[in-house]
Amino acid sequence: MSRIAALALPLCALFACATARPPAELVQAREAYATAESGIAAKLVPADVHLAREQLDAAESAFNKDATSQDTADIAYIALRKAQRATALGEAAASMQAKAQADKDHGRTTEALLNRKDAQLKDTQGTLAQERTALEKTQGALAQQKEMTAAERAARLDAEKKSQDAMDALAKSLAVKSDIRGTVITLSGGVVFATNQATILPGAQAQLNQVADALKTEAEHHFSVEGHTDNQGTDTINDDLSTRRANAVRDYLVVRGVSANAITAAGFGSHKPIGDNKNAEGRAMNRRVEIIVDKNPS
Amino acid sequence: MFKTSSRLLVGAIAVLAVACAGAPRPEARIASSEGAIRGAQEAGAGKVPQATLELTLAQEQRQHALELVKDGDNHRAEMVLARAEADAELAVALAHAATAKADADQAAQSVEDLQKKAAQ
Repeated sequence: MSRIAALALPLCALFACATARPPAELVQAREAYATAESGIAAKLVPADVHLAREQLDAAESAFNKDATSQDTADIAYIALRKAQRATALGEAAASMQAKAQADKDHGRTTEALLNRKDAQLKDTQGTLAQERTALEKTQGALAQQKEMTAAERAARLDAEKKSQDAMDALAKSLAVKSDIRGTVITLSGGVVFATNQATILPGAQAQLNQVADALKTEAEHHFSVEGHTDNQGTDTINDDLSTRRANAVRDYLVVRGVSANAITAAGFGSHKPIGDNKNAEGRAMNRRVEIIVDKNPS
Repeated sequence: MFKTSSRLLVGAIAVLAVACAGAPRPEARIASSEGAIRGAQEAGAGKVPQATLELTLAQEQRQHALELVKDGDNHRAEMVLARAEADAELAVALAHAATAKADADQAAQSVEDLQKKAAQ
């Protein structure tokens, strides 16, 4: 019995196929639906695949009712289109997913790039800031130096001017000349001292004060005070007198603020005349105290 | 009796006339198929090679269907309009698929370029 059935079934199937060949549209619709169902569409657009399924079912049903009618072919044609449509929509959905993923990747990569650029920028900024600080330091030091130099120059100019002014003032009232030893200020013995005395006369103090002020502006120089006499009297007396007079002038200048270390005194008696001892005028010239400002700073 | 039978006859003729005329004019299909074709055009089916054939088919079949309506074959016209509508809907889907694919390819290329740049 079961053998007969097994034989009969394929025979029946053969007979059915022979008598009711499905229209080309239905064959294509079946294939298209199989493609849609097994592809990405089943996952991404199941509703559209389902619509295709329904249309295919309708086509199969129409085929079973009337295998050869035009309506059956039309319904199968629509089923074919719906299956193809489901596949296309599945592809579209897949592409949209791929695009979304690519956009996400793009965003992530852009962010990474930006972060890297940002880090580089910060790095550069840090270096720049360091360099700027160093530069500012250098500039500050330079400015300070310039300021100091300017101040020093101003101070020096000021000192030189003061010195010059003092010397000029002195030159007006005293005999001031330059020779090989330096600047020589000559005080007349008759004006500063009484005869045979080594005590500075009150009337000469104003002159000596002026000298002291002038010497103080020449602090870097060494001063020599030299006492001289005419040839009247013995050398012993004259040497002693000239030494005492030189010392008296030195002491007075030191009291007036000239540095004691910078000033020495010596008496030369009548050994270094500058005038003729034969007449009164020449002798008056020889009686003198000279203050020499050494040419070279000590 | 005569009256009744004559009435029945008139009724039968009327029913026959309706049957001969076939299905009513497929107004809904005429409208919906037109909408589907317009939708396909708006989706760019006319410019996407993969969808142009289906759009053309839809337009031709709809034209044919309208002639069938004129000839009074409303049933065939309805079926042909349904085919045209299915063609137009497929054209829409194909146009979408092509556009989406182009967009995705472009985005992928853009990412690739950027990653190359990042690797430098």
